Amino acid sequence: MSAQFDKLLPLLVNGGIEFILIGGVAGNIHGSARLTFDVDVVYNRSKANFEKISELLQPLTPYLRGAPPGLPFKLDLPTLRNGLNFTLTTKLGDLDLLGEVVGGGTYKELLPHTFTVEAFGVKFKCVDLPTLIKLKTAAGRPKDLESIAELQALLEESER
Amino acid sequence: MKTRIYRDPVIEAYKRDVDRTLLRENLKLTPAQRLEKLVSFSSFAAELRRAGQRARLAKKR
Repeated sequence: MSAQFDKLLPLLVNGGIEFILIGGVAGNIHGSARLTFDVDVVYNRSKANFEKISELLQPLTPYLRGAPPGLPFKLDLPTLRNGLNFTLTTKLGDLDLLGEVVGGGTYKELLPHTFTVEAFGVKFKCVDLPTLIKLKTAAGRPKDLESIAELQALLEESER
Repeated sequence: MKTRIYRDPVIEAYKRDVDRTLLRENLKLTPAQRLEKLVSFSSFAAELRRAGQRARLAKKR
């Protein structure tokens, strides 16, 4: 199921969750023409943010994507505290909650490389294009090669 | 000032196939408009998937 970007992003913002948008949706914000199906965010690993994430997402019945059904998974405070990166399915689609990303680090480390986007009636932080390219490159996944090429082309086009 | 990009020969090879006309059109839009376009395209793709499922089911019957 494709994420309902227009519902998920406002929900996170209105719930007061501190996050930075990365991944394919961030690519689209920069002008990418590639379709993406999930929302990837780097979240702040503070106690207050854990509480907000837990409270806000539990009604969406988050579950580990690809895991067999029936596991006793609950996205609560201890789970968030003891875990780091969560690839989830939710009622509003797939959501990757990342505490740290290769090539970019934590929320606080990424913060200087973001800008504010206004969409769907809310404002949120999105990673800048050079950093998004850096993150994709650092991930080292063969499937990202085309995407990196497109993002670099976007950078060239936007600086023409 | 232009951002310096490391020129990886593999990426450069992929870059030759990037359709820059699509990118130039997207760059004319605001970030919010680009997201609206993504939402609209996602709905379209989901509808196509559902239509495909229906067609496969009908074929089985």
